[in-house]
Amino acid sequence: MNIPSKFDTIVVGAGPAGCASAYLLAKAGFKVLVLERGRGVGSKELWGGKAYAQPLRDVWPELDKEAPIHRWVSKERFSLVWGERALTIEYKLGRKVAFTTYLTELVNWMARKAENAGALIVDEVRVEEIVVKDGKVLGVKSGDDIVYADAVIDAEGVNRLLLEKLGLVDKLSPDHVALGVKEVLSLDPKLIEERFMLNRNEGLAWFVAGDITLGLPGGGFIYTMRDSISIGLVLPIGPAARAAEKGLLKEHVSSLVEAFRLHPYFRSFWREADVIEYGGRMTIEAGLKLMPRKLYMNGLLVVGDAAGFLVNTGYTIRGVDTAVISGKLAAEALIDAFNNGGPTEENLKSYEEKVKKSYIYSELKNHSGIGDVMSDPFFFQKIPQVAVKAASKLFEADYEEPKLIRSFLNAAKEENISLLKTIYKLGRVAGKL
Amino acid sequence: MRIVVGIKWVPNTQAVRIDPETGTLIRKGVPSIVNPHDLPAIEAALRLRDTVGGEVIAFAMAPPPAVKGLELALGMGVDRAILITDRVFAGADTWATSYVLGNAIVKIEREYGRVDLAVFGQETIDSSTAHIPGQVASWLNWPYAYYVRDIQVSGDSKIRIVRELEEYVEEYEVELPAVLGIAMRALKPRPVSLYNKLRAKLDKNVIITWSNSDLKLDPRCVGLKGSPTIVAKTIDMPEVPRKKEVYKPRDPRDGAKWIISKIVEDEKLRELLVKKLWGE
Repeated sequence: MNIPSKFDTIVVGAGPAGCASAYLLAKAGFKVLVLERGRGVGSKELWGGKAYAQPLRDVWPELDKEAPIHRWVSKERFSLVWGERALTIEYKLGRKVAFTTYLTELVNWMARKAENAGALIVDEVRVEEIVVKDGKVLGVKSGDDIVYADAVIDAEGVNRLLLEKLGLVDKLSPDHVALGVKEVLSLDPKLIEERFMLNRNEGLAWFVAGDITLGLPGGGFIYTMRDSISIGLVLPIGPAARAAEKGLLKEHVSSLVEAFRLHPYFRSFWREADVIEYGGRMTIEAGLKLMPRKLYMNGLLVVGDAAGFLVNTGYTIRGVDTAVISGKLAAEALIDAFNNGGPTEENLKSYEEKVKKSYIYSELKNHSGIGDVMSDPFFFQKIPQVAVKAASKLFEADYEEPKLIRSFLNAAKEENISLLKTIYKLGRVAGKL
Repeated sequence: MRIVVGIKWVPNTQAVRIDPETGTLIRKGVPSIVNPHDLPAIEAALRLRDTVGGEVIAFAMAPPPAVKGLELALGMGVDRAILITDRVFAGADTWATSYVLGNAIVKIEREYGRVDLAVFGQETIDSSTAHIPGQVASWLNWPYAYYVRDIQVSGDSKIRIVRELEEYVEEYEVELPAVLGIAMRALKPRPVSLYNKLRAKLDKNVIITWSNSDLKLDPRCVGLKGSPTIVAKTIDMPEVPRKKEVYKPRDPRDGAKWIISKIVEDEKLRELLVKKLWGE
């Protein structure tokens, strides 16, 4: 049996970050092995559905022509819902910025690019340990088998069991992660375009907050794919668990998704559509708090979700492009290191510096207020409630309509929230969103 | 001991839906997998090899993407794998399939030496005929045992097998060569190992492809042409949506009556049942 005794780099995890690293390293002529736990690349992927194109083009300029792009997002919608009532804002984009797709398809494409560049991708293998001796990473271990490499890129994703073992990160706290649950509803592309009022191959991304999460922190999403619609909820685990303990949250999260699917405001968009898939996944809520103590050690780099690189601004969530860019920065740092004496701790330090200079880090810093928003039910209960109530005063008046400002003040008064507190709360996070 | 193990590449029936109009499977976008009932058969073959030595050869008659399934078998520790693939084999029923598989075993014997044992999963999740191992045994004229849960070598060219049936356990001594159908869930399949998986990916000689130019079978006896089975009709059994209802009776008998009222649709039968049970 002719197994190469050593690879230049082993990448753990064939997600967007791992594939980007593997692709660039293989393209530069290095011997790369990618180990993936799922059966088939991408089988563990689950997301809502929207990726930002430009950062991906930085790695794959041929993206627009080759990648499995379902629809270019031309409309963004945002809704606050309470009961049957809903308040919606829509924005029509002026250019192609982001596209919808199944992440499984996109990651498969990325993996094929890496394979064609010469990387070896092996699936169904669970890496149990990153092997370290005298402070230097030697390779990875799975079962009784160890494979050696000069460097390891940890792209293991949000559940960072390997980094925990290495002591680079603490155990995940329920307050730093969220549960995403999604359903895929299959529908004729023509009906999708008609109902969401989209041109051919154009798509829509829709964020929803309010009582679809029973007022708990989190929200709902809707994305139009080519011939299906992805809908789902994201619930930060900490607040949801505390609500469940107090008896405020009695239902299983799947019931919440079902109620969202059957909501009178939304259901006509997917009337007659079949639920063809459902799934759940843990996702990052507060990126900066999840960053490992160090993004590198002697022979190791950490990329993607494992490094906490998911930007949540409150109105958009970006994880795929940041993962890809972190993978790119890691590959570049590693290639530099290989050309300058090897992937020592000293030589890999440049990766962390590159990350800190990149938009990933500045975005994480700029939007760090999301952690405070996500842990405070006020934003998900009182704000939607008051907004929807104020709108109802404006639009459901039989005789006299109140003045705009009155409608809000009265709504706030009826919901027992003080204007001062609201201004204080909004002011505190406004600078960080 | 040389053991061959048959593998079927099947659509993941959990993901397959049925077209309500045509009654056929909608396979579009449905990933294929190794028939889950084949995994205990692979495990049985590997355990036997690990005890007495020899080699295990996995083989499948399938379109080229089934290489992925053979990689799984190799990952578990199978020594080599053979993909039997040819357009003329397409559309085969169990008769035409077993004809190809039987002849493939004959060719394996010619290429690699005597085959002592051929093991198969008891049935497949996409058709559940359980025909293949029995039919292969008929083509080869080998003894056949099915619902096998345990295999032990007993002396020269003989094995003892255990069949576990609903109310009793049978033990047989079987002359080799033989064909066995391994009971579903009889053995827990081992996980794939990193080295085995790497070997499957890197060693070009470990997966061999045979077409009909290797097997040289009469095209009229294989594939759709060689298949006498006609599917007359399929009826889709629509899924019954489940609804949770909670009833908390103080008297358990009320609970029993409530359950009867829920599951027995016929009113007369229901009354009769209640009368018989409680004399009311």
